[in-house]
Amino acid sequence: MKRILIVEDEEALGLLYKEELAGEGYDVVTVRDAEQALEILRRESFDLIVTDIRMPGRDGIELITQIMGLRKEVPIIINTAYQSYRDDFMTWAADAYVIKSSSLDELKARIRDLLSR
Amino acid sequence: MIETHRFLAPDFQSKEPKELSLLSIVSQSFFQPFSLDDNLLVILTALTSGSGVGFNRAMLFRSDGDKLRGGKWLGPRSPDEARMIWEVLSTPGLGYLEIIEHNRWLLSRDADAMTAKIAPLEFSLSRDNLTIPVTAVAKKELLLVRDASREPLVDPRFLQAIGVEEFLCVPLLVQNEVMGEIVLDNAFSRKPIEPKDVKLAGLCGLMAANYIYTATLHRKMVEMERMAALGEMAMFITHQIRNPLTAIGGFTDQLLNGPADEAKRHRNLEIIRREIRRLENVVYELAHFLKVDPSRRPEPFDLDRQLRSVLQEMEPRAAAEGREIRAEIDGLLPPVLGDPTAVGEVLRNLIVNAFEASPAGSRIEVAAERKDAAWVTVSVKDAGHGIPPEARAKLFTPFFTTKERGMGLGLLYIKRVMDACGGTIEVESEAGRGTVFRLSFKSQEEGRPEA
Repeated sequence: MKRILIVEDEEALGLLYKEELAGEGYDVVTVRDAEQALEILRRESFDLIVTDIRMPGRDGIELITQIMGLRKEVPIIINTAYQSYRDDFMTWAADAYVIKSSSLDELKARIRDLLSR
Repeated sequence: MIETHRFLAPDFQSKEPKELSLLSIVSQSFFQPFSLDDNLLVILTALTSGSGVGFNRAMLFRSDGDKLRGGKWLGPRSPDEARMIWEVLSTPGLGYLEIIEHNRWLLSRDADAMTAKIAPLEFSLSRDNLTIPVTAVAKKELLLVRDASREPLVDPRFLQAIGVEEFLCVPLLVQNEVMGEIVLDNAFSRKPIEPKDVKLAGLCGLMAANYIYTATLHRKMVEMERMAALGEMAMFITHQIRNPLTAIGGFTDQLLNGPADEAKRHRNLEIIRREIRRLENVVYELAHFLKVDPSRRPEPFDLDRQLRSVLQEMEPRAAAEGREIRAEIDGLLPPVLGDPTAVGEVLRNLIVNAFEASPAGSRIEVAAERKDAAWVTVSVKDAGHGIPPEARAKLFTPFFTTKERGMGLGLLYIKRVMDACGGTIEVESEAGRGTVFRLSFKSQEEGRPEA
């Protein structure tokens, strides 16, 4: 079973992603900030990371930089409400950029693509 | 011994070198909170006053990038008027401000005469237009035209408007940008234009071009800052809307697409309800925030009554939420400056914030007093944990919030309201001892002139 780490500070969304992706047959772990994400990444391994950017404390961009520092060869999806960061330099380090919307179809499709590579 | 002197004080009757007195007149505008129009008027005054360059008339064209457009035309309309004006201007002891004032009057009077003559004039700035007056800006040179009616390059519409044979075209340029042009003549004295006049006119032209350039740049910068702030705001608003929409959409789809037991159905609906409320809050905050009109003149109003009515309204709510409000109002408060509705909203916001920051069973303290003859303060103290210094610094920046709900516009709204009425908001906070927000209003007590 593929393992996915979700980094999402909005509680309701964390819950939604966890349930929906579990329904797709993934093993999902949800954390609320970059700090917790780094902590769990040091101990456990994942097949994919979905993270928001601009969260309280350390934000998602910083998280991506740190994950690269940990030399984890794990695909990253930025999942955010901010459209305007799409072209920012550091977001290129991610493998996909998904803008939050009322449908999870795109997020699910990107996850499927990246995990079947 | 110490002597004090005004900066380059101009003396319109002095016999000092023209260059120096010209510089004195023009440099005065550096010390005045003058608008661009005023600064240009100062330069046209310098060009036409006797102690300046001494031309009879000065005509200003402004550039809009594609065309030179007629602007102002300063000078007498007839030889008689010229004599009269020269008499006025030679009155002993006349200061430069009086002369500028006099010229302002000339220009306002001429709105229907001389200026009206050149206002409809437009000359294309395209490369192939080599007619006068455009040639001066195209060639970036001052052009002295004599025998204008025999010069085929002079645009006939221009010649008809100016009606003289000899004039000087001064291009207004900054780097390669055309700011406009000034055209000068001696229509009444018939004095030939001399090389030293050309030189001084060129100097004034450089300064006029710089004034226009700086003013244009300043306007562009203000506009850009406004756009950047707007962009930032739009970005945060989309964020505040997309997050709840994602949750609402996702939890609704769950209910539509799959089987759900009663507990899950209930949970999803609760989440959806909560997220809808968040969206409502976004709309509410925004609507309030946008309603503050900083350009509106604040008026004296009865703060005492407003505060007491807000307290009365909030007390049942405090009781319902298990908090107590203790109010100490020091006598009858004098009227203050502000918008009563907005100030009522500010007081409500501060009290609700205090509820949210304080644990159940605690007390919110509201105090109001005449600080001194000029100020009245209202403070709201909560029983919360206090605000850490790093967060305190960011309190009044847009979209900063420590709350789950809301957009972080609340305190910014309060600041805008207080700014608009010439008042202030201050915050004092100590870890573990709560936070005090203090509003200061300008007092409008009887017998006191408006501060």
